[in-house]
Amino acid sequence: MSQYWILVAILLPILGGIGIPLLPFRKRKWMLTYIEIVVLLTSAVVVALLLGGKTEAFHVVRFVNDLSISFKIDGMTMVFAGLVAILWPLATLYAFEYMTHEEHEKSFFLFYTMTYGVTLGIAFASDMLSMYFFYELLTLVTVPLVMHTLKREAILAVRRYLYFSLGGAAFALMGMIFLMVYGETCEFTLGGVFSAEALAQHGQLLLWIYLFSFMGFGVKAAIVPTSGWLPQAGVAPTPVTALLHAVAVVNAGAFAIIRLTYYSFGTDFLQGTWVQNVCMVLAMFTIVYGCSRAVKETHIKRRLAWSTASNLSYIIFGATLMTPLGLVGALTHFVFHGFMKITAFFCAGSFMHQTGKKHIYEMNGMGKKMKIVFGTFAVASLGLMGVPGFAGFISKWNLTQAAVHSGNPTAYAGIVCLILSALLTAIYMLSVVCRAFFPATEETRGEPVGDPGWQMCLPMLICAVATVLLGLFSAPLIEFFRAIAHGML
Amino acid sequence: MLILSILFPVLLGLGILLKREFKCRKILLALTGVGLAVTAALGLAVAFGGETELLLFSFGKNLDIYFHVDHMGKLFAVVVNAVWVLSGFYAFEYMKHEQEETRFFGFYLMVHGILHGLVFSGGMVTFYLFYELMTLLSVPLILHNRSKDAIKGGLKYLFYSLFGAYMVLFGLFFLNRFSDSLAFLPGGTLNLGSIAGNETLMLVVAFSMIIGFSVKAGMFPLHAWLPTAHPVAPAPASAVMSGIIVKMGVLGMIRVVYYLVGADFIRGTWVQTLWMSLALLTVFMGSMLAYREKVMKKRLAYSTVSQASYILFGLSLLQPQAMTGALLHVVFHAVIKSCLFLSAGAIIYKTHKTNVDDLRGIGKEMPVTIWCFTFASAALIGIPPASGFISKWYLATGALSSGIGTFSWLGPVVLLTSALLTAGYLLPITIKGFLPGADYDYGSLQKKESNLTMLIPLLILAVLAVLLGIFPNLLTDYIAKITAAVL
Repeated sequence: MSQYWILVAILLPILGGIGIPLLPFRKRKWMLTYIEIVVLLTSAVVVALLLGGKTEAFHVVRFVNDLSISFKIDGMTMVFAGLVAILWPLATLYAFEYMTHEEHEKSFFLFYTMTYGVTLGIAFASDMLSMYFFYELLTLVTVPLVMHTLKREAILAVRRYLYFSLGGAAFALMGMIFLMVYGETCEFTLGGVFSAEALAQHGQLLLWIYLFSFMGFGVKAAIVPTSGWLPQAGVAPTPVTALLHAVAVVNAGAFAIIRLTYYSFGTDFLQGTWVQNVCMVLAMFTIVYGCSRAVKETHIKRRLAWSTASNLSYIIFGATLMTPLGLVGALTHFVFHGFMKITAFFCAGSFMHQTGKKHIYEMNGMGKKMKIVFGTFAVASLGLMGVPGFAGFISKWNLTQAAVHSGNPTAYAGIVCLILSALLTAIYMLSVVCRAFFPATEETRGEPVGDPGWQMCLPMLICAVATVLLGLFSAPLIEFFRAIAHGML
Repeated sequence: MLILSILFPVLLGLGILLKREFKCRKILLALTGVGLAVTAALGLAVAFGGETELLLFSFGKNLDIYFHVDHMGKLFAVVVNAVWVLSGFYAFEYMKHEQEETRFFGFYLMVHGILHGLVFSGGMVTFYLFYELMTLLSVPLILHNRSKDAIKGGLKYLFYSLFGAYMVLFGLFFLNRFSDSLAFLPGGTLNLGSIAGNETLMLVVAFSMIIGFSVKAGMFPLHAWLPTAHPVAPAPASAVMSGIIVKMGVLGMIRVVYYLVGADFIRGTWVQTLWMSLALLTVFMGSMLAYREKVMKKRLAYSTVSQASYILFGLSLLQPQAMTGALLHVVFHAVIKSCLFLSAGAIIYKTHKTNVDDLRGIGKEMPVTIWCFTFASAALIGIPPASGFISKWYLATGALSSGIGTFSWLGPVVLLTSALLTAGYLLPITIKGFLPGADYDYGSLQKKESNLTMLIPLLILAVLAVLLGIFPNLLTDYIAKITAAVL
């Protein structure tokens, strides 16, 4: 398949999204069909591209010398693009029903669909500049989605999101400049791009630069001290929180950090330095901090958002181990967490959509009325807790095995953090499940509430089934990640 | 057969839970009864069959669902089935005064299957899987009546247990790296080559796993869930919790210490010392708290805390005779404590009295129940020839011949003191029950004896509690085989 199809994959949803307000749809149904077709087509193109295997970089626009927008497909691309290609059509389907009770549907779907293309751009980018370009775009294109309701709290959330993200990007820009100056090439190369000479002369400086860029990209991955935007952004409609704030946007942060660490600065250079420990400790702290905040939170979406912050730092923790095994662990959680958390968010959204309530203490006995919703929520909870047989166990196992094998004492402490976080996860997830299925007092007989329609139930069920299947039959996928970590893909 | 003994009850239980509404209570009971009987038959058939191995499924490198029926597993399987079926039968009557029986029996059956998976598992990963499932599925048994206290008790049990499970998991991560395999092997599987230089780390790991499993076994400082969860649960659930689920923590500890880490590795280290101290402290503290407690089921729960630590103390000595005593106490305590809890349940069911002080004259009203209670008490105190005497004898002589300085004499002293306290907190119930005193109003006595569905399990358990002490040879011989293999 020609590489130019990458352009199709990126532009199709962007242009298709712009078409939504422009095309004259007679009925809502036609518009929805159009959107789903665009998204599905894009996914099909992406899947076909990924099946084609690894490609060389090709340049679309060349500014000066090395500076270009260019794309390629390698192992990391496959993981990220593959993940979003599976989840996007599902989340879009979910949004069709969810958005019936929200306003400004057209502008919502416009930006929602465009985000798909931008996210793919990040995945396909072959060097720092291209990734940076789409990374900034992602910030901008998701702004209207967060402030969708136009309420005061939404505006505040957007302001914070924007400041944090743009500030973070500025830090990341610093890293990019140093990469261009001292790197032998700008393209992502497993093992790093710096020349031996540059490393010898400017080692300490580059470590500082790494730390800055790490923090910069860490904003999107919600690392402490910049994790506050994520729960606040929960004011967005649930399809946004589910797909963007649990998978696409936050994973883009983690993805960028992996690109930065493994493909730009190089693990040989970073391993064993003070900066590795600093980053690891930051991730460890976020793991525990996110969980603790989640336990305290009674708003269901904010609780899940804090949980996301914590879980994203699992990925970062794996990445900062700076070993191939660490990367395997990070990628495992990268994918598995996506499926589990999107399931949980879908359930939370269904609860809010069906009842109009938002808080956990309002969930008493809902399990009996909304069997599918809370059944899948229970599956997601068990997955996030890491019960064997569910996806979360495999990713925790891989992460901790990597930590044990690294022999790094800080990593051992990280395992303690993971365990502590697992316990806190059990507390904040199971207390919800318990309340839903075994309420102390039955909710007063209000209007009858039931499961939502198939458009919301189907994505939920598919993701829940995936959580179980990934937990049971993960071996081929792990082999794939191992090949990536050893540079074979 | 093995797979069936796990899957059949789980599926049947699930079916009952999904069906939810039964037209007539008899159908539910018939289903549950047949389910329990078939499951027990399957489990016992596996237990009395030969030594079998089975690698069922592997969900990752080193992550195997692997079963291996060995002597230790068989011993536990017999205990599990005996107590589980009797308590289940008892529940047929007892659960009449609770609502939503379907849920209770559904989960009860499911946990029965999970327990088979637990006792027959041949590796730590499998064990951990079933251990987690047991925790999760047994929560609904505890919070059954959904009062505020019950839910609090259930959640406390859940979170304590999960905390323990995660401590185990922590150890598991390291064991996978530093041992040859995670399959149970008498004497341990540690790879001595690769742990060179990491001994301290491995000791920490072993300790964390011991503490992790001690949560279920109710060892100080993580015992607090027992007195909260037991009083709120329906009586059959409390009975199997004290009788069986607590013992699964013990089994986990045995598996870790004797089959993975190896007794030799921790002998003489701070891990052993700390373990012994905590166990002894718990023995004494549990008895003391039970002695001061006025709520009947809470008193029995504290008693479990104390008695389970007898077992743990026996295990911590890493000495064959003490271990024999510990395993004997596993069997005896399972029988005795479930008998005690079922008696307490019978009293609550008939009279709604939960406080010990209200039980004056109860022996006149429910003579058979209180006689069963008395026999079980005698066995728990260790009055010869009842069963508790035998296990305590082994524990004490094991401690004396262990040669571990202070503990070899301190242990027996504490055990004896605790036995006195046990007499102090159990016998007054019998005494006041039968001899309420001259000022008692005999006129108000009514005949309140429980009916046969509840009496038969009680009688069987009480008789077992005594008989096992009179004819212990079969058991001791069998257990000697186990201890010889691991020590």
